[in-house]
Amino acid sequence: MIEFKDAAVVAPDSGVPILEPTTLTLTEDRISIIGANGSGKSTLARLINGLVLPVTGSVEVDGLDTQRHGAQVRRKVGYLFTDASAQLIMPTAIEDVALSLRRLIKNRAERDEAAMSALREIGLAAKADVSVNALSGGQRQLLALAGVLACTPSIVVADEPTTLLDLRWRAHVGALLRSLPLQVIEVTHDLDSAARAERTLVVDLGRVVFDGDPKEAVGIYRDLMFGRASQGATA
Amino acid sequence: MISLLGIYRPRRTLMHRAPVWFKMLLLVGMSITCVVVSDPVTSIGITAACLLLLASTLPPLKATLKGMGAIVVIAILTTLFQLWRGDWVRALDLAGDIVAIAALALAVSSSTSMGAMLDFVTALARPLRWLLPPETIGVMVSLTLRAIPEAAQILTESRVAARARGLERDPRAILIPTASRTVGFALDLGQALHARGIAEHGRAPRGGSAPASEARDDAPGRVLAEPPVREVPAPVEPAPSRRARRR
Repeated sequence: MIEFKDAAVVAPDSGVPILEPTTLTLTEDRISIIGANGSGKSTLARLINGLVLPVTGSVEVDGLDTQRHGAQVRRKVGYLFTDASAQLIMPTAIEDVALSLRRLIKNRAERDEAAMSALREIGLAAKADVSVNALSGGQRQLLALAGVLACTPSIVVADEPTTLLDLRWRAHVGALLRSLPLQVIEVTHDLDSAARAERTLVVDLGRVVFDGDPKEAVGIYRDLMFGRASQGATA
Repeated sequence: MISLLGIYRPRRTLMHRAPVWFKMLLLVGMSITCVVVSDPVTSIGITAACLLLLASTLPPLKATLKGMGAIVVIAILTTLFQLWRGDWVRALDLAGDIVAIAALALAVSSSTSMGAMLDFVTALARPLRWLLPPETIGVMVSLTLRAIPEAAQILTESRVAARARGLERDPRAILIPTASRTVGFALDLGQALHARGIAEHGRAPRGGSAPASEARDDAPGRVLAEPPVREVPAPVEPAPSRRARRR
């Protein structure tokens, strides 16, 4: 369970609010977050695994405060970035997954076996020894996901994981995320994907302006965006 | 040379099975021998041995030839310079040394996985644990190797972008985006390390790691009722060159 208790974030230099005080309890297995670029949705997602810490209030994951127990929280919460390239560190696929497992498995042979098993589960076993630079965008995103899942988190936060992918990979990665037996929180611009969640948050200008039924949320988001677009056209 | 960073291929050769410490000792020992011994016959012998050792690791042919090609060119230039000076003994010795050390280094790279190297560096750094956790030093080495091809790619893309805008002769049009994107890549990598809990020892700053797109100065103030959509600021363009200004 994820609990936001009046959690707020401001820009460190200017003091400009990025996320207004937010109180939420997230218990559903499939939650989507939608909003315009720069609206604060990624900040909301990053608060969950302590990549961003609230300036006021707190965020707790299964009772662990992200400020005081950041490392423990990150063991529970896997994070998937939009651009998987920045998430991949080692030269080959298997070595990258093995890097995630270093703190869990000390023996190298066992670690490599576990990494191979994670790649097999995600369908990348054939690419185990391939350079990460030689993988396609979709394969890189899958590899990043394998690195996250290898650490057996209980929650996966995915920040626009399909934005840079073509239609085929978008469908594949989306289906894979939906099939995970974990709590998945997806920040997305893909409204079809957002509508498949159990609950959707609409973030706008640093505030959660809607929290509830995904289809209703998508409608509100469209109104919000197109309403502004027509206002901009008439201005 | 960048292609050589991914030269490792899992095989069952003798070099692959040898422990990392042995390979590193061999590399250091052979390098010292090459520098100390200035006999052309010995040098040619060592070179042949190192080239055979490299071949025995069955490295990827294209990347190896490309990498060794650059080394051979340097060795030829050095040899020509020494021959021009009339010192053929030194010419043979130097050329042999350069090729031998490069071939041995490649043999080690092509037979050692990054994971094994990381374990070795971590073990080596253990006496320095009062200064930095050994795991962090190991990750630092991996990150350095990871950053080289990325920085090269950013430089290439910046050069292409500058050419597309007709600014290929203005170094600022290449260097400024390269520098800013490299820093951006480093920040992203840092966030990813943090998110993956790798070499984690500190705390994230309060509100200090908000995504760049959301931590902007152009965001509206406290009044957040119905302001217009925040616009993405235009990218900072490099100042026009003197020649462009004259035009």
